[in-house]
Amino acid sequence: MEQLINEIKLKVIEALNLEGMTPQDIEDTAPLFGDEGLGLDSIDVLELIVLLEKNYGIRLATPADGKAVFTSIATMASYVQAHRTK
Amino acid sequence: MKQVNIPSGANLAQLYRDLQPDYPKFFKMDVVSKLGFLLTEMLVAGEAGRFQPRQDRAVLVFSRQGCLANDTHYAATMADFPSPALFVYTLPNIVSGEIAIRNKYAGETSAYVLESYNKDTMWELVRQAFQDRITQSAIVAWIDCPTDTQWTAEAFLVNRNDL
Amino acid sequence: MKKVYCIGCGVVTPVGDTPKGVFQAVREGRSALCLHPGFPEPFFASLMPRDCTAPGTLFDHMVKEAAAAAVKEAGIDASSPRTGLILSSIKGNVEMLGHGSADVSLAVQARRLAQALGVTTAPVVVSNACISGLAALVQGMRMIQGGQFDQVIVAGCEVQSRFIVTGFQSLKALSLQACRPFDEARDGLNLGEAAAAMVLSSQPMTPMTLGEIGFSSSRTKNNFPQPWELVSGCIRNDANHISGPSRTGEGSYNALQYVLEDARPEALAFVNVHGTATRYNDEMEAIALGRAGLEKLPVNALKGIFGHTMGAAGILESIVSMQALEAGVVLPTKGYENLGVSVPVNVSAQERPAQGSQFIKLLSGFGGVNGALLFQKGGAL
Repeated sequence: MEQLINEIKLKVIEALNLEGMTPQDIEDTAPLFGDEGLGLDSIDVLELIVLLEKNYGIRLATPADGKAVFTSIATMASYVQAHRTK
Repeated sequence: MKQVNIPSGANLAQLYRDLQPDYPKFFKMDVVSKLGFLLTEMLVAGEAGRFQPRQDRAVLVFSRQGCLANDTHYAATMADFPSPALFVYTLPNIVSGEIAIRNKYAGETSAYVLESYNKDTMWELVRQAFQDRITQSAIVAWIDCPTDTQWTAEAFLVNRNDL
Repeated sequence: MKKVYCIGCGVVTPVGDTPKGVFQAVREGRSALCLHPGFPEPFFASLMPRDCTAPGTLFDHMVKEAAAAAVKEAGIDASSPRTGLILSSIKGNVEMLGHGSADVSLAVQARRLAQALGVTTAPVVVSNACISGLAALVQGMRMIQGGQFDQVIVAGCEVQSRFIVTGFQSLKALSLQACRPFDEARDGLNLGEAAAAMVLSSQPMTPMTLGEIGFSSSRTKNNFPQPWELVSGCIRNDANHISGPSRTGEGSYNALQYVLEDARPEALAFVNVHGTATRYNDEMEAIALGRAGLEKLPVNALKGIFGHTMGAAGILESIVSMQALEAGVVLPTKGYENLGVSVPVNVSAQERPAQGSQFIKLLSGFGGVNGALLFQKGGAL
């Protein structure tokens, strides 16, 4: 799981152009959205949906489905572990 | 009237660091929006009352290619995993939106595509924009990027009584 | 400030190629919206037939036909140095991207249109996301009021392509059924294709038209009907987010407030809104209308017939609204059944009588941009 978490952090940093960030800069359970978190927005949600499909074969139909999944890196990793098809 | 430009091929990340705008979203932008963002920083950094929402400043952006480099980037993702972020940046007016969001300009934002950087045409359109009775000043930018590393990027801050 | 009139219109759509024909289609609820196979996902859209065998692209044909019809009705000299041309489009011929050395710049599209129409002045392209057509009309007004031209051909066109369809799919903005503006079950927009054009003029009538209808100095001008007037237009940014509408409808509200200064409350018949049927857009427009004190004013949306025609929308939807007010009606909002926005809006699935001589066209677009344009039906000269 730890390897998956690190892998996801790297992919998120790349997909969302989080300049100058390394996996060490992102806490596993820190909120991704909102001011206290990484400050991601609605287009970032959509890019994360693409990320899940491209890398793990998971299809989320709407951004609303993604809300719970994208709470933190940890919730993303759990979801990927449970639903990945690649 | 203030005028600034960014030479073709300049290191935009370095310019960002030099200007210190503290705006991480910069790194998500396409090259056109980055240029627009930086040109505006150069024009209005240190302006009194900056970041107070206002309707009296227009943002008028001009180009020839729209954002051709962006079209090619997006098209490359089209085949299997189309990227929403890349798609949004293929619209010629997005740079004006990014400038408006950063600076809280709630006035007019407009985008034009001209056959070439014809200053007479551009300034006529700028003059006409002041027919909006609330507009008192405008950020005017010519940003044309055939590729990610080559461009013509020039901007002006013009007031109603300059014209 | 000089007055600006609309003295000619032209449209090319999947449901008709005359303003009257298209108006009739909306009245009868006829739409070309249907499911199309996609890339690979299917999408719901209103598309033109692709059976044109003449050389040139579909975009070129559509925009030229619409603009030529408007020029013909207006009776202007397209080649005059006092005639301007504005093209409104978001992606033009983007489907040509990558095909050999095709230059997909919108500027090239505009030059081709100028040549096809015989326009000799340098064309301008307005490309302001989904409000482009409205923004182009505002620009045409400014060119006339600023004295640059006496008449301006304003033409908008959008053709759908893999580029645009996949883009909207990636934004999860599309519905897989006919869209439902303001409805509680709405789940996204449909894409559309159309071309629409207006000729704007500083004169309500051209010397050619006056000659045709036998105007002579012995008759007073009072005998002739005045064409439509474009009274006031305004573009405002939310300054909030590049693809999500402002939760307070900031830009939309500000644009409305601006044009309402020139509206007469007793004359304002309806607002024709953007009404894309995404969850966010319709909610935002309802909030903006409410803030502007327009919650009781009849409102209608046309994208349940045409889909979202992007660069053509501002012009097409205005032309149809002009037809509606000429006929004294507020057109039905196809796809609407039950109100699904948090602020009341006076929208209906039925046709209603229109009271007044003015209407407002309202639009919003990516980049946080919003526009409003006030139209006035002409009385006697």
